[in-house]
Amino acid sequence: MTLLPEILTIYILNFLFLIFSSVAFYLSLQIVKRWDFSATTSLQYSLEKKSYLGSTIIKYMFYIKLPLFLFFVFTLDKISFILPGAMCGAGVVDSNEYATALMFLKVINLYLFAYWILLDGEDMKEENQPYLKKKFTIFIGFFALLVVEIVLETLMFSSIDVESVVDCCGAIFSHSNDTYLSKVLNLPTELLLTLFYMNFILLIVSAFFKHHLLFAFLNLLFIMISLVSLVSFFGTYIYELPTHHCPFCFLQVEYNYVGYFLYAVLFLGTFNGLVVAFINFKKEELVKRYTNSLLFNFIYLIVVTLYPMIYYIRNGVWM
Amino acid sequence: MIELKCVSKSYENSVVALNEVSLEFKEGELIVLKGVSGSGKSSILSLIAGLSKPTSGEVIVDGKKISKMADHFVSVYRRENIGFVFQKYNLISSLTVRENILLPLVPLNLPRAEQEKRVEDVLSIFDISEKKNTLVKNLSGGQQQRTAIARANINDPKIILADEPTANLDEKLSLEFIEMLQELKSKKRTIVVATHDPLFFGLEFVDRVIELKDGELL
Repeated sequence: MTLLPEILTIYILNFLFLIFSSVAFYLSLQIVKRWDFSATTSLQYSLEKKSYLGSTIIKYMFYIKLPLFLFFVFTLDKISFILPGAMCGAGVVDSNEYATALMFLKVINLYLFAYWILLDGEDMKEENQPYLKKKFTIFIGFFALLVVEIVLETLMFSSIDVESVVDCCGAIFSHSNDTYLSKVLNLPTELLLTLFYMNFILLIVSAFFKHHLLFAFLNLLFIMISLVSLVSFFGTYIYELPTHHCPFCFLQVEYNYVGYFLYAVLFLGTFNGLVVAFINFKKEELVKRYTNSLLFNFIYLIVVTLYPMIYYIRNGVWM
Repeated sequence: MIELKCVSKSYENSVVALNEVSLEFKEGELIVLKGVSGSGKSSILSLIAGLSKPTSGEVIVDGKKISKMADHFVSVYRRENIGFVFQKYNLISSLTVRENILLPLVPLNLPRAEQEKRVEDVLSIFDISEKKNTLVKNLSGGQQQRTAIARANINDPKIILADEPTANLDEKLSLEFIEMLQELKSKKRTIVVATHDPLFFGLEFVDRVIELKDGELL
């Protein structure tokens, strides 16, 4: 078992999350089963008190979980220094049978937990708390996801073998591999860029018509196309190396930690876009969500576009 | 205006403060809640102010179900509708009269000129203008009670709640306080006073005296 201070921190936090989320889970079960807002019985008043406690626990737990995703990525990167062969977090993820599933789950949970925080905020704005039962019902499902995440994380960190040699990101994301990932990364650049910019134009169009479902779907698509185009094309200009395709290396100091900025902006843009289809916002809040989504997605688009542009201006050629 | 529907209130040590009490107060009424210590008078005031929630039953003010509101909504309701006068005044002794009166206005972010105008108005109404820059700890009991009632009125509340307001005052000062209540009643405020001070019971301008014993109406 590898026990870096970062891993130990994650273990301790996970232990605390387990305790607090178990309490919230127990409260959620009671609330979902017996909640009746119109009742004026002692049971209902007791449930109302418990609902404040439950909401507070869940909200602050998720507030901590969100930035912890970046800490997790940072930890993976740190572990790469002690794994022979690994150059960045990608080597750690590839070397471990639990890591890929954990990464996917963490990204999904990131969106789901942020959604819960938003739903709670909307619920608290109304005197009759219209989303109360919904948010606690949803949490029961999220609790299961949280537990799976914690189990996978524990398994992953406990099974890291510092003795065995692992692949570096250059090998994992190589275009010459015959893997599904390589096939995706081998998509023609013209097609990928057309999809990327078209997707953003369609986001603007669907925002103009306030078509919530379409806007959310296009945001989902934007996450995927952005990530593929980042690793396949834009990333090579960040590294200034045409053969280097890695979603982790630009998280390092050599690239001014730009990866953290890009992922955070992409998350903010797409999250704001996705939620319009899942929460019945009031008009003012809805406009804010659409604006935030377009703004952050636009910032992402501009920053990634600047890298090849600047490279071209400096060198007069494309990679 | 104020309605308590079948309200019960128990505390964690199993003390039953109110037992299925139903009451209705109309706008502009001055009601005196009478009873010995522990009869449930203060619990009623606390429930109307939204400072606590009933164990069962419902508290409705102006059609709003106060007892069902989340804490952050109750705070807004209290700020806009309630003026509370306490037995021990609950003033901040290290602040001046003016600063104590100004405190409820802080969350409202009103323009400074508007704040000053309101403070000057209540200082004048409750006749403590000359003491406005005096620290509260240097005031007499009667002056402190005047400051407390001025503070309770700074937001021009519709409802004034007073919990044993004359318990620490001599007879002369108590009568002065009662005069102030009469003036507030003439301004159509709804006033609920919890007291066992006999001075309140024979007053002409008191609309009703409600007696409580062991958490029940007599």
